[in-house]
Amino acid sequence: MSKLKPYDGPILEIDQLSISFFTRLREIPAVMDFSVDIQPGEAVGLVGESGCGKSTVALGVMQDLGVNGRIVGGAVRFKGQDLSQLSPEELRDIRGNEIAMIYQEPMASLNPAMRVGQQLSEVPMIHEGIPQAQARQRALDVVRDVKLPDPERILRSYPHQLSGGQQQRIVIAMALMSKPALLILDEPTTALDVTVEAAVVELVKDLGKKYGTSMLFISHNLGLVLETCDRICVMYSGEAVETGSIKDVFDQMQHPYTQALFRSIPLPGADKNTRPLVAIPGNFPLPHERPTGCNFGPRCDYFAPGQCDQRAAIPMQPAKGFERHASRCLRMSDIDWNAPIATAVKTTACDPGKVVLKVDNLRKYYEVAANALLGARGDKKLVKANECLSFEAHEGETLAIVGESGCGKSTFAKVLMGLETATDGQILLDGRNIEQTPINARDTQTVADIQMVFQNPFDTLNPSMTVGRQILRALEVFGHGTSHAQRHGEMMRALDLVKLPREFATRMPRQLSGGQKQRVGIARAFAGGARIVVADEPVSALDVSVQAAVADLLMDIQHDQKTTLLFISHDLSIVRYLSDRVMVMYLGHVVELGSTAQVFAPPYHPYTEALLSAVPIADTRVKKKHIVLEGDVPSALNPPPGCPFQTRCPRKSDVPGGLCDTQLPPLRTLDNGHQIKCHLSDAILSGMDPVFKISPENR
Amino acid sequence: MTDLLGWGGIIGQMMVQFAPTLIALIATFALSITYKRRLGLYGKLFDSTIGMIGLALVLFWVYTAFFAGVLDLIATHDPLDQSASMKKKLPGTPYSKLIGKADPEAGAYYILGGDNLGRDVFSRVIAGSIKVILIAPFATIFAFMVGVTLGLPAGYYGGKFDTVLSFIANLVMAFPVILLFYLLVTPEIVHTGIPVYMAAILFIFPVIFLTILWQSRYDTQPAKRNIYVGITLVIGLWLYLGIAWDADPLGLIRFPPNLLVVFVAVVFVNAPTVFRIVRGLVLDIKTRDYVAAAQTRGEGPWYIMLWEILPNARGPLLVDFCLRIGYTTILLGTLGFFGLGLESESADWGKMIIDGRKLLSANILHIAIPPALALLSLVLGLNFLADGLREESLRD
Repeated sequence: MSKLKPYDGPILEIDQLSISFFTRLREIPAVMDFSVDIQPGEAVGLVGESGCGKSTVALGVMQDLGVNGRIVGGAVRFKGQDLSQLSPEELRDIRGNEIAMIYQEPMASLNPAMRVGQQLSEVPMIHEGIPQAQARQRALDVVRDVKLPDPERILRSYPHQLSGGQQQRIVIAMALMSKPALLILDEPTTALDVTVEAAVVELVKDLGKKYGTSMLFISHNLGLVLETCDRICVMYSGEAVETGSIKDVFDQMQHPYTQALFRSIPLPGADKNTRPLVAIPGNFPLPHERPTGCNFGPRCDYFAPGQCDQRAAIPMQPAKGFERHASRCLRMSDIDWNAPIATAVKTTACDPGKVVLKVDNLRKYYEVAANALLGARGDKKLVKANECLSFEAHEGETLAIVGESGCGKSTFAKVLMGLETATDGQILLDGRNIEQTPINARDTQTVADIQMVFQNPFDTLNPSMTVGRQILRALEVFGHGTSHAQRHGEMMRALDLVKLPREFATRMPRQLSGGQKQRVGIARAFAGGARIVVADEPVSALDVSVQAAVADLLMDIQHDQKTTLLFISHDLSIVRYLSDRVMVMYLGHVVELGSTAQVFAPPYHPYTEALLSAVPIADTRVKKKHIVLEGDVPSALNPPPGCPFQTRCPRKSDVPGGLCDTQLPPLRTLDNGHQIKCHLSDAILSGMDPVFKISPENR
Repeated sequence: MTDLLGWGGIIGQMMVQFAPTLIALIATFALSITYKRRLGLYGKLFDSTIGMIGLALVLFWVYTAFFAGVLDLIATHDPLDQSASMKKKLPGTPYSKLIGKADPEAGAYYILGGDNLGRDVFSRVIAGSIKVILIAPFATIFAFMVGVTLGLPAGYYGGKFDTVLSFIANLVMAFPVILLFYLLVTPEIVHTGIPVYMAAILFIFPVIFLTILWQSRYDTQPAKRNIYVGITLVIGLWLYLGIAWDADPLGLIRFPPNLLVVFVAVVFVNAPTVFRIVRGLVLDIKTRDYVAAAQTRGEGPWYIMLWEILPNARGPLLVDFCLRIGYTTILLGTLGFFGLGLESESADWGKMIIDGRKLLSANILHIAIPPALALLSLVLGLNFLADGLREESLRD
């Protein structure tokens, strides 16, 4: 089967596409009047919050909308050919051959029962009918192209034998096997760690150039789109609200939603006290509850009654003075886009009080049987989840614990909460040892003092209990109030505290949005008057526009109640925005600890440096140093000797005598309590350049 | 003397007899369809054809059993009343009696004919439905109580406890069911008291289950807890003594020994499967964040199992419950078929089928077919209902 004949115009033209899903209750319009062109070799980013229809657009391009979905208007033209006119056979020829798609979960895209080599060679064998030997040779080349070590071994292995990052590279390799003209990437790195994400993004960019492939890059992360794409299309509630080149949209946006989005993400320069984030008020409208007129109207600062809520549909209009830049805003020319941000209420930083929590040389090892089948007799292996953790946390302070998956941050949280007991070392709460007391043996006050906010809003509330009941239960368990009426009153005050309407007490969790659920989770954690709250990635699963509001809420409550917040995260942007001190962990070790300013400025630990450079920043002014780490985080079951980071450290060669291979670096105190676990000499440390440079031109 | 009824007449007569059931059924459907959007999962059932058919079949038998058992409607004759002149008579034969006086209130016809002892097949099928509708759901509930009470901790704690319980469950499931029944109901075994001891063990589970349920929930409010636990213990233990040991101190509650054996056998066979399903569900649900949240709140393990995990396992359990009632119905039929069930006289679908079977070769079909159709329609209805529930709970 051959490719379509060469075509001069745009690779993909989406022209006023409308897609609806039909449920038994109603028609739900998922995408309305959506237009975008992709020129050959161009990368277009599709950005929006969850539920805005960006993945539906991708499925619409693939003509794969399932039984309920249907294209109700407009056309999708690929190389000039209307895809909806094609027969299923013709579509099959195009899918995987001319248009390839990369999904979020690599493991779900690979067949677990087939060797990687077989899966890869299948693609050209089916689409081009070339013999197996030749297909295998091409697979080998492509695997080499996606920079996987030892391609021969990779081809022979099964998907589960590879790490998440390697799997995603294989998925990318598979997409590239037939040299497609268009590559659709649907959140390709969301399931990966930051440093792995940076490497994969780098790879996608290089390969796009090398193969000349056009790309449609779907993401919720503006920073990633800035790094990978030439043009951007912002979606809100089923509509494209703004399209244009990256530079135009990022620096001179012409739609209030785009502006609000940028103001709600923590860019360098934002600070929780002096320049707080501006959260977008309200909630994302459900598809069947969209307002008349402008969908963003009810949440918009520039909303003009009578103008924005009049017409049923607002068309996309070209922005004056720009090339290929359009916005769906009636008041585009009325709004002063350069007006300074009306700053939200400034607060004063609260002084850290006395030490509440002291962790001293804490270790947590797990014993696992080396051989699962003959476990009883086989020798045991140790997983060193936490290695000599030492730090102090003060009253009213936010301490961020940063690290990628497998660094031991969740294990530490478990030991602190009492779900596990420590192997060695101590945890002191107000001077009392609690590291060996499991939660059932702790007294009510200790349990109520240390509470937790969980990551996944869809999992944090019991789906079969009303919201009020869940908060009431916490109050009951912590022995608050003497009567039901009293506790009920307190529950209502807890809802007020997290700025939820009191009617929510009788709602079921499924009736709440992600951000609202997370607020209930926060209310529940603070209900017993917690003094230490462990927040495990509390906002990372939320949409960008809601993140700021929830983060600020957490900060407000903490500020008022002088709670110590242990903020576990891998997102360095939000960490810089809201934490007072930062602890960076790698493979169970604390590699750097210091105030936020100290950690985010040189001298860095090489891992911190790499982590900082890996974080995508949605700001065209920021110039980043480019560090890409090789490989993946080693397994805690088999940590490298010497320094834990030595297998991936880009600065290993700067240390003489191979010290990194043999010796665990000591924890060195630089200045003002800034601690670093590294062998690098003082001269090299002090000579480090900052990772970010913000060019002076102001927005 | 009236004439033999034709098929039209037979169907007409049956319609007349089933009128209360059909009216109730139509009323239920009309009400439910009108308000289906407000009735949650039950309402959604009315969006699925399969679910509606299933519900209709099940409700048909439930209403029939209700009207026949409580209000003494529907059935035309006493299911045990024999008439020598009606032996093996065809459907639609006018009722007559050779010896003794005919019951003046009895119907004019044997709508579905007479069996080999001259009893009315139609009335016996109706009487059989009362037995099935009474025993099958309750036996299944008991099996669920046992399976849930053991499956929750097995899944939650894991380890040795789980290994031992799973081993026992596998052991029971590996044993041929029919053989087990034969063993349980043989007079010699009954004489040793084994069924009573098994009843003693199996029937204590609902009491344990409810006690733990209240204890874990109202642990923080002792006053409330004492009331709930107290009521549960008093009523539960009273029923328990009466049912399992036949030793009700007040002498009010008795359970026919035959029925007890059937009950025990059905619970014993079903409980291990329920155990395995519950255990599997718990293994999945216990990794959720709300379980972790309960743990970090210092909740006891039983609160987490019964109030955080169990309610969220209800979907699959509900579907299995429907399927299992059907399975139990078949088991009851099988027991009757082998003569292991209730008293040999009583109307029992399985027993009726085996009685009629002997006459099938003589081309007398009307004795075996009606109870077989009844059994088939009820089980089919339960399976359809389970399918409908599963389908609808998966959809938006």
